Amino acid sequence: MTTRLLALLILLGSIWVAPAQEVEVQEHILDNGMRLLLVPREGDPNISCGWVARVGSVNERPGVTGVAHLFEHMMFKGTHTLGTKDIDRDLELIAKLDDLKAQIREEEAVLVESYRVGQIEDPTAADNRSERHQELLAEFENLLKVQSELLVKDEFTRIYTSQGGSGMNAFTSNDMTAYFVNVPANKLELWFWMESDRLANPVFREFYAERDVVREERRLRTDSTPTGRINEQFDAMFWQASPYSWPVIGWSNDVENITREEALEFFGTYYAPNNLTMVLVGDFQPDEAIALAEKYLSRLQRGEKAPPPMRTREIKQLAEKRMIAYAETRPTVRIRYHTAPDAHVDEPPLLVLGSILNGRTGRFFKSLILEQQLAVQAGGGVNGLKYDGMFELVGVARDPNQLLDLEQGLYEQMELLKEELVTARELQKIKNQQLAGDFRRLKSKSGLMIQLLQYEALGEWQNINRFSERIQAVTAEDVQRVVKKYFTRENRTVGLYYPKDFVPATEDSEGEVE
Amino acid sequence: MRRRDWMTAAAGGALALPQLASAQIPAHPSLLEFSPIEFQPPEASQYRRELPGGAVAYLVEDHQFPLVDVSVTIRTGGYLVPDEDIDVASFTGSQMRAGGTQSISFTDFDEEAAFLATQIGCSVGRTSSSASVGCLKQNLDRSLEMFFDMLMHPGFDAQQLELSVARTLQGLERRNDSTRSIVNREYARLMRGNHFTTRQSTEDTVGRVTAERMAAFHAQNYSPSRFIFSVSGDFDTDEMFDKLSAYLTSSDWPELGAAPAIPAPTHHPRPGVYMVDKVDENLNQAQVRIGHLGIARSNPDHIAASVMNYILGGGSFVSRIMSRVRSDEGLAYSASSSITPGTYYPGLFSAAFQSENGRCAQAATIVLEEMQRIREEKVSDEELELSHNYNIEIFPRFFATAGQVAGTFAADEYTGREEGYWQNYRDRIAAVSADDIQRVAQTYLKPEQAVILAVGATDAVKAGNPDEPDYSFQSLNDDNEIEMIPLPDPLTMKYPEG
Repeated sequence: MTTRLLALLILLGSIWVAPAQEVEVQEHILDNGMRLLLVPREGDPNISCGWVARVGSVNERPGVTGVAHLFEHMMFKGTHTLGTKDIDRDLELIAKLDDLKAQIREEEAVLVESYRVGQIEDPTAADNRSERHQELLAEFENLLKVQSELLVKDEFTRIYTSQGGSGMNAFTSNDMTAYFVNVPANKLELWFWMESDRLANPVFREFYAERDVVREERRLRTDSTPTGRINEQFDAMFWQASPYSWPVIGWSNDVENITREEALEFFGTYYAPNNLTMVLVGDFQPDEAIALAEKYLSRLQRGEKAPPPMRTREIKQLAEKRMIAYAETRPTVRIRYHTAPDAHVDEPPLLVLGSILNGRTGRFFKSLILEQQLAVQAGGGVNGLKYDGMFELVGVARDPNQLLDLEQGLYEQMELLKEELVTARELQKIKNQQLAGDFRRLKSKSGLMIQLLQYEALGEWQNINRFSERIQAVTAEDVQRVVKKYFTRENRTVGLYYPKDFVPATEDSEGEVE
Repeated sequence: MRRRDWMTAAAGGALALPQLASAQIPAHPSLLEFSPIEFQPPEASQYRRELPGGAVAYLVEDHQFPLVDVSVTIRTGGYLVPDEDIDVASFTGSQMRAGGTQSISFTDFDEEAAFLATQIGCSVGRTSSSASVGCLKQNLDRSLEMFFDMLMHPGFDAQQLELSVARTLQGLERRNDSTRSIVNREYARLMRGNHFTTRQSTEDTVGRVTAERMAAFHAQNYSPSRFIFSVSGDFDTDEMFDKLSAYLTSSDWPELGAAPAIPAPTHHPRPGVYMVDKVDENLNQAQVRIGHLGIARSNPDHIAASVMNYILGGGSFVSRIMSRVRSDEGLAYSASSSITPGTYYPGLFSAAFQSENGRCAQAATIVLEEMQRIREEKVSDEELELSHNYNIEIFPRFFATAGQVAGTFAADEYTGREEGYWQNYRDRIAAVSADDIQRVAQTYLKPEQAVILAVGATDAVKAGNPDEPDYSFQSLNDDNEIEMIPLPDPLTMKYPEG
């Protein structure tokens, strides 16, 4: 990493010498199209290792929502070498299980049809199952038991852990799926062994059983939180056509019914090496890493066809949408606007706009919280996704009776920004914070690794070094332009969350009736 | 790039140059060979300086980025105040930061800090308090000036206090919304009874917060003799020492005696099954905690106990509890146990998971079975080796950054950890045998004394899973009554009778 002088600014009497941080990345591309990004850094004897597949829930279609996330779980279930005592027998059992599952699905389809025409109340109730259906289920359970005898539980994780791998995890988002771990500096080859093995020889073991875990994950993250399901429906209301409308964890019906064929097709398309980037940050020699990458990763075959382009894009919203919800939560208003993708030229002014609204010295704190006393909390920010974007304003009202006033107050603040340019001091403050933030963001090696994965998933890693200049170049006119462009009545979706037991105060509830 | 000053390790370059690409890929990762890493932990004395007024600092230079981070741990906390003043203590921390100083309005203070991109924080905790400033090197002097002005002459602004009170009261009203917040609160009450760690804010305790009371708390608790600094980043140690010293010699600091000792709880948890009913038609998952009293850090067995717990439930996917509850049975997304050595008095052993209502009893049964099994059977060689390897291999990560080095040593001094603790830490881990693990499991795990708490839709939790009728909370409790804990009024924390 080098420090270079970006700008010398003399402003409002304060002299700002602004050094910006450039991340020096050594890039290596394998013949199969996989990209390798290397950032050697001195420090503790560890390497932060990760890779990203350019696939998320946005690449799904109705019927298989949640497959990207289910996949993330399957990637820890082992390979031909790891996770089983007898791979031949294991594969045999897996084929039998799939066959049984297909027959069970036929039985389920009969029940769903009876349900559709109103002959039965509950297509999942055991009472409604045919004798054959019950036999198939029993056989399925039985085979699972046989298979579990062959399993070497969590062997993939065990090997990393026993070698000092730490912080092993993965995440799936709308746009990407990332896998990462920190390994001691002498264990780089282990990382290449393990990651190339699960890409070259994966076995989606426990393909059906793992859905119990995913179900618990949904209950944990969504169903059993006071606003989880309402938030999910707010997303689904905001996005009309876009695949961003469904939750990353998927709709339950889909998750229950994804087949192995669908999963394999998904893997072949999106986990091909030409759709992956590997990132290493830490204590290693780049030459050694490249030699190991060639040795272990070049055996992966380029995908037969490139991942298909995203087809279903969001359509233009023509009228305001509103949702009024009652939940065990504070009185909250959220107002969400369609904006632009992460890489769009409007993203930097939208990011600056968010900073102007937020924080102890931001506009919302001064106006809505302190002066007008409408809110106890208020903020806003852009979320640039790969193919689209959104900007959300959120306010928590002091009193639920003031929720609509707070909504109006938020609009008023945005209208002011249309009328008057933000001040030079406001703008410079944001830019100063961004430059300091640049350094702070790079302090953590694993943090830098994750950032590079994200930049790769949304575009290319080089953007990490362009970000600073893009923010520094934002003008007051730019900010005004994006506010005028996006913050319109017909472009917004509004969610009002009232406490469950809320009864609106009336000035005189009796005597109004004439 | 300059070498990081705190790195004493001869690390890196340890990897032997791999074979050419044509070389065979080993059939199994166990065939890979790794050269050892030499890593010696840093020594506290290398960074320790005594400052004027009785303050201490750990100064760790790191010139990689032009940033400086200063934080100070202050010997004070909520444990010092009577029950009705818990919010006076906690508000003092946040209002010191929010209210500007006696000579600078909060508007100007915040505006300047934001413009300089200087981050300033301040909080009062239960047994320690802290304040911090992080800034670009070029703004260090002004940032320190503002920071010490806040520490010495806080403003306690009325408007900021009013806002914070409104926010807090709104938060109190919502304290029974999520099962997670309920389970944490009620579990602590069951384990610690009436103790400073379980006191709860109410509208009365919040109502007692005034600028005068906060100023009094500040005057009685903030002085160099109570300060331990940890400083990391791009500075010169001698220069930093001089800068800090200049502020600490001010005559504005009060003379303070030593902070009183931290009171240990006297409560003995009553074993049994407890439930809190959360009425919500959508709630399909319950939170469960299982635990009993644990051990103190002063107990030499705490290392063996932590290795034991790693195998039992601390090691995530490689632990027995996670493996059975999640991987085998699919009963929970996460399931774990912890045996946190208490710093001042015995800590707790606790297991935690969240499962679909009807399946909680099965998961709870598994946790108790595993607690029993690790007492009865020796752990396998493989488990022991894995636990040793992991806990030894990750050791360098405790000291991965200058901030961690300074922070660890400052915390050690604050809590009075014995000198040289880290120097032979790995040897002590490696010395833990399978016999030791069984011995500490038998001594410190008490499944028959467990407090079991479930929070959720309790009718469904009690009903269990019709497909697995053998599991029930009643049977975990020798068919004794399950004790129902009612939800308290969120603003007064009064629990309904009966």
